[in-house]
Amino acid sequence: MIETKGLTRTFTTGSVVTPVLKGIDFKAGDHEFIAIMGRSGAGKSTFLYQLSLLDDPTLGEVIIDGENTHEMSSLEKMDFRLAKFGFVFQDYALLPELTALENVALPLLMAGYSKAESYKKGAAALERAGLGTRINNLPSQLSGGEQQRVSIVRAVAHDPEILFADEPTANLDNDSAKLIMEIFAELHKGGQTIIMVTHEEQYAKRAERIIRIDDGKIVSEEKN
Amino acid sequence: MIPLNVRIGFFLALRAIRRASLWTTTLIIFVMILTFLNLVVISGILVGLLQGAVDAVRTEYTSDVIISTLSDKSYIENSPSVIAIARSIPGVEALTARYLESSRIEAGYQTRKESDKPNLANALIVGIDPEEEDVVTGIADKIIEGEFLVPGDYDMIVIGNYLLKQYLPFDTPGLATLEGVGIGSKVRIHVGDVTREVTVKGILKSKVDEIALRAFMVDTQFRSIVGRNDGNVDEVSIKVAGNSTPEEVRDALILRGADLDAKVQTFEEAQPQAFKDIINTFNMLGTMFSSIGLVVASVTIFIVIFVNALTRRKFIGIMKGIGISGRAIEVSYVFQSIFYAAIGSAVGLALVYGFLVPYFLANPIDFPFSDGILVAPVEQTLFRVGLLVVSTVVAGYIPAWMIIRRNTLDSILGRN
Repeated sequence: MIETKGLTRTFTTGSVVTPVLKGIDFKAGDHEFIAIMGRSGAGKSTFLYQLSLLDDPTLGEVIIDGENTHEMSSLEKMDFRLAKFGFVFQDYALLPELTALENVALPLLMAGYSKAESYKKGAAALERAGLGTRINNLPSQLSGGEQQRVSIVRAVAHDPEILFADEPTANLDNDSAKLIMEIFAELHKGGQTIIMVTHEEQYAKRAERIIRIDDGKIVSEEKN
Repeated sequence: MIPLNVRIGFFLALRAIRRASLWTTTLIIFVMILTFLNLVVISGILVGLLQGAVDAVRTEYTSDVIISTLSDKSYIENSPSVIAIARSIPGVEALTARYLESSRIEAGYQTRKESDKPNLANALIVGIDPEEEDVVTGIADKIIEGEFLVPGDYDMIVIGNYLLKQYLPFDTPGLATLEGVGIGSKVRIHVGDVTREVTVKGILKSKVDEIALRAFMVDTQFRSIVGRNDGNVDEVSIKVAGNSTPEEVRDALILRGADLDAKVQTFEEAQPQAFKDIINTFNMLGTMFSSIGLVVASVTIFIVIFVNALTRRKFIGIMKGIGISGRAIEVSYVFQSIFYAAIGSAVGLALVYGFLVPYFLANPIDFPFSDGILVAPVEQTLFRVGLLVVSTVVAGYIPAWMIIRRNTLDSILGRN
């Protein structure tokens, strides 16, 4: 379970102080699929970065499985992310000099799996995502949709507790975007907790719950 | 068991190198090769200038051990006994004894008018056994015109190139040279009150003054000219056998009392102090140039890695974001630096020992005072390889560390 209390994030540039998140209280249970929506600049991505411990709040707390992350060092947070989180970025964020298989295997290696185990697990996951023939291709040799699928496989290969996705369909054509959402639905069906930022209503509706953020605050919550 | 960060670092570095732009990799390695050559070759040539001269003096003049007159004597007293001692030492392979006498050599006297300036040069006349001299110093190979002496030669000399105007590469005030002297020329030798007309049989070319400023004749005739019949010589050069060292032979000579009548020195000890000082100065200059080369290499690698890490900042952020430790990423950059330094050094080593050293040995650089070679002692070169690798690793680690310690999210989003 993930919970925030009074989550506040303020950016300061010189003498200009910009509050982006203004005291958000939020709770997500295990196995939930939550979509976070809002207009550009509403603070939804900033909120996701706070939840995923990629950024530190100015005020407030992020509590994951009862553990207050405020007291963690950056090294502990990194270990925590590796053990419990998976990430899907808008621009796929694959490492260009690694093949699809190596991209997927990398977090597994870091998690302590042997090279053989990592490659086996990674290859099987890519096979399931319909990328069995593309495992030795570099990202530059894959389409946007294929890259995003590799990115999802990489994010879930080590069985994370929570999968964070930041506008995963934003750069994709309709067919590829639908395929990505199918994969998310499939993962969720298998018990995966997913927190996804999107600005596309049609994909948000695939989630169980939609949180709408505006001006740094949660303005509505609806269940699908 | 290899630590996880090292394994991941190696995994990332291997792929970064394998899939990097070939041009970039080639350029970096090229810079490393140049740096390595700068480290080894510049100082090697500097030292080699002197080493060429040192080697030439040893080969052509002193050989491995030289016995010479004591400073207060005009020749080696009891020379036959000293030579006999030397011949009895097992480490002595061969020796040659030389008689020396100051002289003036005169040419062109046959056609000179009374008002003309005499065609004269001051030279040391050296009496030698041509066969023994050639065995020890290989001097016959230095003949560039005519022929070397043979034991029966009478009224024949072989003359050093610095005594002849046409062979002296530079003007030296105070050093008179002979004009118009070639093979077959008749010249007069004036030793004290004695004058003898001889024929030039050969011309020796050397950059060693002790050869180039001397005229050689067969020892038996020399003795008849100067009237020295006691067998006392002025120099004995000794060639040491391969299984012995100059120091061992010197010590054996001293142990048997040869130093009572003569100065016994190894070739190194016989070098003038100024020579040793110049070698030390050149070594120091070489080290200075090498240090500058090392700094240039470090800065180059720093810039290359910094630019690389800066352009890959987003991916570094992503790696940290998905849980790859900063330490593993740093290690990957260290491995990349080691790769560049190792390949650069390996190619540099192959170039130095496979091409440059043999090339300069076969084609020495023609300096007025020596034939310059490339001196690159293996242990010194390996030390410089080590220095290059260490400085490259440090220069590669620092920029990687600077980029990696930045905020993960800022890196991913490209924020400053």
